[in-house]
Amino acid sequence: MDRAPVLRARDLRVERPSRSGGFELVVDSLDLFGGEAIAILGANGSGKTTLLMALAGLMDLRSGTSSSSQGSGQVTMVFQHALAFAGTVEHNLRVGLLGRGLDRSDEDARVESALEGLGIVHLRSRSAKRLSGGELRRLALARAMVLRPTVLLLDEPFDDLDPSGQELLSRDLLRLVKDTGIALALVTHDLRRAALVASRLAVLGGGRLLQVGKVVEVLSHPVDRDVAALVGMINILPGVIVRGEGRVAVEIEGGGRLQVATDLPQGSAVSVGFRPERLKLEPEQGALASSIGEAHVVGLTTDSILTRVTLEWMGRELFTHLLYGRGRQLAIGDRVALSIQSRDLHLMGIPKKVSPSI
Amino acid sequence: MSSPDLPLIVEISIRTLGVCFSALAVALLIGVPLGIWLGSRRFRGRRLVISVVNSGMGAPPVVVGLAVALLLWRNQPLGFLGLMYTVPGMMIAQTLIALPLVVGITLAAVGALGESWDLQVRTLGVPRAWRLALLVREIRLGLLAAVIAALGAILSEVGAVMMVGGNIAGETRVLTTAIMMYTQMGDLGTAMGLSAVLIGLMLLLSGLLTVVQQGER
Repeated sequence: MDRAPVLRARDLRVERPSRSGGFELVVDSLDLFGGEAIAILGANGSGKTTLLMALAGLMDLRSGTSSSSQGSGQVTMVFQHALAFAGTVEHNLRVGLLGRGLDRSDEDARVESALEGLGIVHLRSRSAKRLSGGELRRLALARAMVLRPTVLLLDEPFDDLDPSGQELLSRDLLRLVKDTGIALALVTHDLRRAALVASRLAVLGGGRLLQVGKVVEVLSHPVDRDVAALVGMINILPGVIVRGEGRVAVEIEGGGRLQVATDLPQGSAVSVGFRPERLKLEPEQGALASSIGEAHVVGLTTDSILTRVTLEWMGRELFTHLLYGRGRQLAIGDRVALSIQSRDLHLMGIPKKVSPSI
Repeated sequence: MSSPDLPLIVEISIRTLGVCFSALAVALLIGVPLGIWLGSRRFRGRRLVISVVNSGMGAPPVVVGLAVALLLWRNQPLGFLGLMYTVPGMMIAQTLIALPLVVGITLAAVGALGESWDLQVRTLGVPRAWRLALLVREIRLGLLAAVIAALGAILSEVGAVMMVGGNIAGETRVLTTAIMMYTQMGDLGTAMGLSAVLIGLMLLLSGLLTVVQQGER
C-alpha cells in the first residue's frame, strides 16, 4: 500500500501480569490506514483487546512504539462494555470535550454531528444509564466520534447486539469509514461481520500476530493451520506431494488424492486446506475433472441460512455448506459425489527443508 | 416525671450538631480522597489497608474513645495539647469513628465503577483534573451513602464522647451523654425530651440526604 499509515506500531512488546503466569503480546509490525477498516481476529485470550489497548496508548509498553501520524489524542477506543456516564446522552457526548478549551459553538457542532451520524438525535435528553445495549453502543461510538479521531479502535462492537442491530452497525461503520476517512480497527469473533466491514484482516494467536492481509487473501491463503481454523478453513488434511504423468497431487494420509498446483518436490509433507463452501456436492460420481470421489453424509445441522453438512470421505471428516433449500434434500447416510477445484486448495505447513525424494 | 428544660435542650442540641458536623467535615475531607485513592490504585499491601478500613467501620466507638483518651490525657503523647475534656477532643474521636465509614464506602463506590472506568475516560482524552471531577460525579450516590452512614454513627454515638468529652455541663455535654446522665438521675422527662430531639435530628438529616440520593437516581 502506497499511502502513509495514520497509526504505525513497531516491535510492540506488552506484558499483562496475571495470577496464571502473565501474558505477553508481541507485534512486530502493524499499520492502520485512513479510510480503511481492519478486523482483528483471534481466539479468546489471544491478545486482541490487549493489542487495541496498546494501540490506544492505554498500556505501558515493555518496548516498541505505537504512534499516530497526527500526534497524540487522535486515537480513541470504544470498549466492549461501554460506559454510560451519569446524565443525559448529550452530557455523555460532551465528556470527551472536557478541558479542551473548545468554543461552545464548536462543541455544539461536534455533538450535533455525532448524534446525527449515529442516528441517536432522539435519545439526546435520555438518561444514558437507561439505554438499551444497542443504543449504548451507538452512544459510545458517538462519544468517540465527537473527538474527531483519526483512528477508532472498537472492541467487539457486535457483541450483545441482535441480528438487525449488527446489520445496522455494520452499515454505519462502513459509512463512517467512507465519510470521515478514519482508520478503523475492530476486534471481533464474527468472521462474517469482519469480512463485511473490513478490507484487511489481522489474525492473532497466543499473543503473536500470525497474519495480516487483505480479507480474501487471509481467508483463502492462511499461513498456517491455526490461522486456517480461525478464518473458517475447517477442512485440513495432512499428506505428501506426489508427482507423476505430468500431474501433481497431494496424497492424503489414510487414502485419497487431491490435484494441486505447486512447485514442491515429490515427498514434501504438507497440509492441504479448503473452505467448506468450496467443496461441491455433484449429481454423479466422476463427471468432472475436479471430482474427488464419493462420501457419506454423517451430519446435518441447519440454521436459517445454511445447512452444514458433515461428510465421511476416505475415513476422514470433511465439511461443506449448502444453502438452506438444497440442504433439506439431504439425509444422514446419503452417498454423495464430491468435487473441488485445484485453485481452491491451499497448501500449508510446508517445511523449509524438504527431502528431495521419498 | 419532671418537665423538660427547653433552653438546656436547645443548647445541648446546638453543641451536638456542631461537634458532629465538624467531625463529619474533617472525615469527608480526609476520607473521600483516601477512598478514591485506595479504590483506584493497585499497590502492594492494598488488601491489608482495606482490611484495616473495613475493621475500622465496625470498631466499637468506646474503644476508639479509649484510644483517643489514652493519647490526650495529661502525661500522654498528645497531652500537651490540652484537648482532653474539650469539644475539639470530642471532634477528634468522632472523626476517627466516621473516617473508616467514609473511606470504606467511597472505595466501594469507586470499585463498583469497574476496572475499565479510568481507561475508558482516558481514551476519551479527558485531562486528569477533569477525570477526578467526573469520578466524584459518578460516585456521588456512594458519597451520600457515606455521609448518611457517618452522620448516623457519630450522632448516636455515646461511648467515645463520654470518655473524651467527660459530659461537662455547658462545655462538652451532648445529646447522647445528656440522655444517659438524666436517665441515671431519674429525670426521665428531660431524658425523653433529649431523646426525641436526637431521634428527630437523625430522621430529619438522614431523610434529607435520602431524598437527595433518591432524586439523583
